[in-house]
Amino acid sequence: MSNFAIEVDNVSKTFAGLRAVDSVSLSIPRGERRVLLGPNGAGKTTLFHCISGTHQPTAGRIVMFGRDISRVSENGRTTLGMGRTFQISNVCTDLTVMENLLLGMLGTKSQKWSMFRPVASDSQLVGKAVASLKEVGLQGRENEEVKYLSYGERRQLELALALSSNPRVLLLDEPCAGLSPSERQHFSKLVSGLSREITLLMIEHDIDVALALADKVTVLHRGKMIFDGPPEEVQKNTDVKEVYFGRL
Amino acid sequence: MNYRVVGIVVLAALLAAVPSVASEYWLVLFTQILIFGLLALSADLLLGHAGLFSLCHAAFFAVSAYTVAILQTRYGVSTIPASLAGLCMGTLLAAVFASAVRTRGVYFILITLAFGYIVWGVAYRWASFTGGDNGVTNVPAPALGGLQVVSKAHYYYFVLAVLAICLASYRILTTSPFGLALRGIKSSESRMRSLGYRVGAHLYVAFVISGFYASLAGVLYIYYNRFVNPVAASFPISVEAILMAIIGGTGTMLGPFIGSGIILILRNWVSGFFHYYTAVLGLIFIATVLWAPNGVMGLIRSWRSGNRGEGA
Amino acid sequence: MTAIILQAINGLSLAALLFLLASGFTVTFGLMRVVNMAYGAYYLLGGYIGLSVMRTTGSFELAMLVGSVAIVILGFFVDRFLIRPIGSNHLAQVLLTVGVAFFIGEVCLAIWGGDSLKIQLPSYLRGSVELPGGIYYPKLRIALIAFGILTATSLWLLYHKTQIGAVVRAGVDDREMVNAIGINVDRLFVLVSAVASFLAGIAGVVGGAFLTLNPGAEWDILVLALVVVIVGGLGSLEGAVLGSIVVGLLDAYGRWLAPDFSYFVLFGPMAILLLFRPTGIFGKEH
Repeated sequence: MSNFAIEVDNVSKTFAGLRAVDSVSLSIPRGERRVLLGPNGAGKTTLFHCISGTHQPTAGRIVMFGRDISRVSENGRTTLGMGRTFQISNVCTDLTVMENLLLGMLGTKSQKWSMFRPVASDSQLVGKAVASLKEVGLQGRENEEVKYLSYGERRQLELALALSSNPRVLLLDEPCAGLSPSERQHFSKLVSGLSREITLLMIEHDIDVALALADKVTVLHRGKMIFDGPPEEVQKNTDVKEVYFGRL
Repeated sequence: MNYRVVGIVVLAALLAAVPSVASEYWLVLFTQILIFGLLALSADLLLGHAGLFSLCHAAFFAVSAYTVAILQTRYGVSTIPASLAGLCMGTLLAAVFASAVRTRGVYFILITLAFGYIVWGVAYRWASFTGGDNGVTNVPAPALGGLQVVSKAHYYYFVLAVLAICLASYRILTTSPFGLALRGIKSSESRMRSLGYRVGAHLYVAFVISGFYASLAGVLYIYYNRFVNPVAASFPISVEAILMAIIGGTGTMLGPFIGSGIILILRNWVSGFFHYYTAVLGLIFIATVLWAPNGVMGLIRSWRSGNRGEGA
Repeated sequence: MTAIILQAINGLSLAALLFLLASGFTVTFGLMRVVNMAYGAYYLLGGYIGLSVMRTTGSFELAMLVGSVAIVILGFFVDRFLIRPIGSNHLAQVLLTVGVAFFIGEVCLAIWGGDSLKIQLPSYLRGSVELPGGIYYPKLRIALIAFGILTATSLWLLYHKTQIGAVVRAGVDDREMVNAIGINVDRLFVLVSAVASFLAGIAGVVGGAFLTLNPGAEWDILVLALVVVIVGGLGSLEGAVLGSIVVGLLDAYGRWLAPDFSYFVLFGPMAILLLFRPTGIFGKEH
């Protein structure tokens, strides 16, 4: 089996003539924590969508653990062990926190098709859900409808959902966006506390959070990869300075 | 929780007592309310749980009613096999029409509407087989084994028994992982996909199950009405079923039956002195959308949460 | 051979009628995201009003004018006081406009009764013309096809060659943008909706002469128009043209070759098309 969790092989994505992602290749070894940097409109989220299967790349291949998953549907990739969060919180707002999490845990199991038994009667499943809510700091909020959660709590639920299928590869799209500094700290602690078994690919705007977490950094600019290397070097790289730090 | 159990027991007792206290007029009307409530409930499985607005449920209802009627009157098939055939035909049709779940939103609404018209058109124009405008008449009373269900009261009890089973299965279905997934899809399709759900497959199966319940309503209807004509397949029946679900409150079990009661009692009352009932129905549509989009159950819910205080 | 050509002309004349109704539906949806199921009822009411005008004055032109203007006024009030307040919820729009259609249908029934009525043609539209090849064909149908082509051409010019058309097209693609460049969208909506109502009213008067006016006709014609819109793609004028022709021809040949299953001939291909292109031929995601 391949040593790489994710390989992006020459992937391009074009929208109505605009190249959002332009021939990007990157390889992420198992267990690595990779942070994707880049100014707005650099193509980070589009690349994410290509990896998660939300978008079909215009050209190139996506490989997960040595298997070409370019033709695998979004839900199929989840079943193969991919989990993700969305840049803008995407949770089922009409349902309770618990129901969201149950859906997450059932999503990769054939049990999701069960029609003959109330889901709440599965005490083992419910117990696990309670435990993982505690992990992200949402204990006691189980029966709250998601629409009444605060913004920060929704981000926490978003992370819990992404983890609920026990993914081997986790894609986090700006998990800290819009959070207060203290919430940010809490969140980066949560992320750094994740099992090292999980390969992590993360988009992050906050440089400090990014550099603290990353094993390796990739910088995108206008759809192209302009840097790929260890975090210590990223701030010294002249290309990166020009397009990224130069803007600050 | 206890209130709920008490409520169910009281409701069941009241419903069981209807034949002994009500006149035949009300007994027949009640039977009708239960049957159309089931049709509304079937449409609400898609609307209230999965978020799909189907306008072709009269098609499954009518196809199963026609199947039973034709088998019984023309081929002398007895009640139970004819009913099973009716259920099969209605559900099979639903399995074909369920291809509409490839689309969403307005397209889904318009396509199901067009699908519904196919069935109406066939019922109306293929007169040599369906009897055209006159439909199929003289359907015999249902017979279970050697037992003929002739009296109106007996048939009412029969419908009530079938409904009890339906509601129990519906309740389990909507609280099961599958039912929860439908509500998840209604809330956020993209999230459900990224959680590993094949959204299309879930909606397809939900559509077929919904068609099954509608077909069951069709079987109950044909033995209630003893004849069927193209009106059963027509667009107003489909849209009325949706209206009943909304007036009562979508996503609930009781709501569609409350809605069915309101609409049918109103129709019977208004038709007594006013010739143009459909105009009144039109006004009900408009009023519901403008002033009571969450229906009776929605009003009860907001009243209760108001009593308990906000966010309780 | 003659029969095949005759059926083609039958189909095209129905296509012209359907286009009048479908183009309004599709453009109002494209621009305002409003699903108005009352267009069928507008058609019927416009036709009945035209019928009464024709009976009292004998002028077909006046019938068309009064019928369509009456519908423009009705459409304005329905838009402003019923559809506008409920916002962009399609479910609510469908239920509400179905309610409006039921109401209008019953009003028509109360006034004009349940019999099938036909609008008397003016003398210059009666009789037949001889087409090349020695085929005789009713003048009315030829005139209807010509009228359909004229309407489609003027709408196309309006849509593609004028400033208002450019704004409408921009609005179909991206409504926020039109808002952002400071165009009075409200006034634009009223205008487009008036054009759509106008076309529905005209279609009713023409349809009253070409087909018949009777209770239920509003739904028959609406469903055909909806199939046109589904096949062509919501929001696309070109789609409405193509869809009308396809539906008109399928209907004519279907009625001719398989009268019992003509609905099937019409909807079957539509269902298959949608399995491969769920948004119709020219449609975009909405």
